[in-house]
Amino acid sequence: MSADHTRDPCPVVILSDFGGAFAMGVIGGCVWHGIKGFRNSPMGERHLGAVSAIKARAPVVGGNFGVWGGLFSTFDCAVKAVRKREDPWNAIIAGLFTGGSLAVRGGWRHTRNSAIMCGCLLGVMEGVGLMFQRYAAWQAKPMAPPLPEPQQPQALGA
Amino acid sequence: MSWLFGGRKSQTSGAEESFPNDSKSQDSQNSLGFDPSQVTNVSSIISTPGALDTSRLHPLAGLERGVEYLDLEEEQLSTMEGSKSLIPSRGWTDDLCYGTGAVYLTGLGLGGSYGFFEGLKNIPPNSPGKLQLNTVLNHITRRGPFIGNNAGVLTLTYNLINSSIDALRGKHDSANSVVAGAVTGAIFKSSKGLKPMGYASGMMAVAAAGWCGLKSVLL
Repeated sequence: MSADHTRDPCPVVILSDFGGAFAMGVIGGCVWHGIKGFRNSPMGERHLGAVSAIKARAPVVGGNFGVWGGLFSTFDCAVKAVRKREDPWNAIIAGLFTGGSLAVRGGWRHTRNSAIMCGCLLGVMEGVGLMFQRYAAWQAKPMAPPLPEPQQPQALGA
Repeated sequence: MSWLFGGRKSQTSGAEESFPNDSKSQDSQNSLGFDPSQVTNVSSIISTPGALDTSRLHPLAGLERGVEYLDLEEEQLSTMEGSKSLIPSRGWTDDLCYGTGAVYLTGLGLGGSYGFFEGLKNIPPNSPGKLQLNTVLNHITRRGPFIGNNAGVLTLTYNLINSSIDALRGKHDSANSVVAGAVTGAIFKSSKGLKPMGYASGMMAVAAAGWCGLKSVLL
């Protein structure tokens, strides 16, 4: 009953996370680079500038988001399978691996720093999520039912 | 209280006169329309046998019954006509995420392997191992993300349009997919002029039709 049915089971959820992160990146990149291209173009070519900036940059932003989300989901599933438990450390460990593997071409120091940064970021996110969870649980805390009446209620007007 | 419960007062008083020794529950049942001793309240819930059974109240109780329908109220599968796809879908967000993710990964893999072989061919002669590795990796990362990104954007647009047409028509069929593919291709090349728009539109329509054919074979 307490299982989370909104997320699919592990191997296939990677695909969904990939697509979701990619879609988020593309749509966000359209807004971001649309505004940027509009502002950085000379008067009279602003709409053209916005469109060409979106065409050039939005898919790249989407790809970056998608690869990050997909890698994170893959590592998350792998860590879950190895540790056989679900807690915030899964996300932090997966964040470490994700940050490290995305920076692996930049050398050992870059990989290490990037992994630590990413792990800390995920740790903060998990912490905030836990805080919200606690707050929601505190708001919906169970209430004792009102005490029963000592005798049967009398019929009205009887 | 007849104004509230809609009882017929003259008949009730007549019943009282004709059965003066009736039980109290019968009397109140007539005037209230229900029997107060049958009403569920806290004491009746608590006094029900088995209500405080610890094996039923445990947080992990009832796991052997599997998933209950109440848990799945928010996650019903899509009931739209003809919307059955290769994997079960809960609606347009699932279609969008899975479709985009699958096509993006496929494009990334195909482009990456193309770049891999291209990189193997373009290794400079007599170069050290690190340079060879770098050449191959550079070719992979040039080809893979390019094809993956474009395929992903196409699928994203296609899925958005397809779901919109489905929602407007209230059902899904192959014509929806083909039209959505054509519109997607036209939008994708919309800044290049009419002729490229036509080509891209036709190609995407054919691709969508191919996907529908594949789905009908596999399902």
